[in-house]
Amino acid sequence: MTALLVWIGGCSPSDSQVSQHTYAVDTTSYAIPWEQIEVYMKAAPSPVQVAMWLRQEKVPFYGENLHDPTLAGRYSGLQGAANLGVYLTDMAYAHATAQYQKAYEYLSSVNRLASLYGVEDILSAERIKRLDRLQDQPDSVQKLFTQYYGEIQERLTETGQQAMLRHMILGGWSESLHIVLTLLEKDPKSQPLAEVIFLQKGLLPLLMKLYSVDTASSAASREIVAHLAAIQGELEQVAIQEVGSTDATVQKGVIHMRFRQRVVLSPVQVQSLRRRLLPLRQFIVRV
Amino acid sequence: MKGVFLGVSLSFLGMLQAQSGCRQLIPACREAHMEDYNWDGRYWKAELYGGETTEIYYTFFRGLRYRLIPCGRSSAQKALHLRIYNANRTLLLDTRQQGERSYWDLELSSTQLLVLELYYPMGEGCAALLIGHKNGEYIEASAH
Repeated sequence: MTALLVWIGGCSPSDSQVSQHTYAVDTTSYAIPWEQIEVYMKAAPSPVQVAMWLRQEKVPFYGENLHDPTLAGRYSGLQGAANLGVYLTDMAYAHATAQYQKAYEYLSSVNRLASLYGVEDILSAERIKRLDRLQDQPDSVQKLFTQYYGEIQERLTETGQQAMLRHMILGGWSESLHIVLTLLEKDPKSQPLAEVIFLQKGLLPLLMKLYSVDTASSAASREIVAHLAAIQGELEQVAIQEVGSTDATVQKGVIHMRFRQRVVLSPVQVQSLRRRLLPLRQFIVRV
Repeated sequence: MKGVFLGVSLSFLGMLQAQSGCRQLIPACREAHMEDYNWDGRYWKAELYGGETTEIYYTFFRGLRYRLIPCGRSSAQKALHLRIYNANRTLLLDTRQQGERSYWDLELSSTQLLVLELYYPMGEGCAALLIGHKNGEYIEASAH
């Protein structure tokens, strides 16, 4: 496993461009019990699911805070995997808001990074052309994105690259939170966006479990856990107001769950969360 | 010593067969029940023995409709059931109270992280879960 990770890092076509600040591929000989933490890897929503929800909410596109697609060639190893998650999320957001040209730029970044982990065939030129032909059919594109994202996860798992998958999930999660905070800054009264912030209270401990397993052996994991703990500390301040009881009803096999609650989130709290998220995002995207 | 080795090997082979059988369930369930829902490629599987359960954490968004496909049948020919909890571990629904179905559709009035617990009321066997999603309708928290 260790050998594989080193090999992947070493084979990067862009090694010469990688900055000295890039965090190194783990070379320590320790085993992570992936089967035990797999359940936490699947807790965070996929970029595709986030995009589908953003499209449903009809949110606007704010491109100024997204990651720079031209930096894709400067990442490799674990950092490359984290940025693969970031670019996938930016691509999905751009597509969800009908910014097809921007989505295409992110797709190119995704494709470039995908080649580092042997998943480039999943986003081959042929498949990209197929996506292109469907540009005016967002539902079909979403279905294909869903399929491709599933295939990437499957391939990374089957080829023993769970360490990459873990970082891809972290990158995707942090970028989703970054986008939701941007949207909240523009629309501070949005309850659906505030709900997504509140749910992070439940997600953060699971993400921390993902990285706590190897803090003794990995400096990167130690730093990530410290950043996540800082965000969690801030989230503790986010309150929920119960305005009634929760109930679940079932009709003809359809379960309706009603949560009578309201998330109380002020613009000051949004800014505080932004400040806590920033160091983690910097850690992921820096070159 | 040989006997012990043979025993261990047979038990290992049995586990492998169970795991591969478990995995074979997934495409069949997807084919039969996913219909027009998007499947993000993730699935959960476990071998459940002697009343064991397995937990799944999943983020559900308001405005999307989800299809939950519990996949498997116990040695006692019982359907696989789901208990749904909120993030604070309050039980919201046990599908066993609603009868047996091949899948359940789910909509929420707000975005939530839920914990799904898979279990067999009787017997043992492979248990898997697939989750699909598509655009849904907004349900109001106050509606009944």
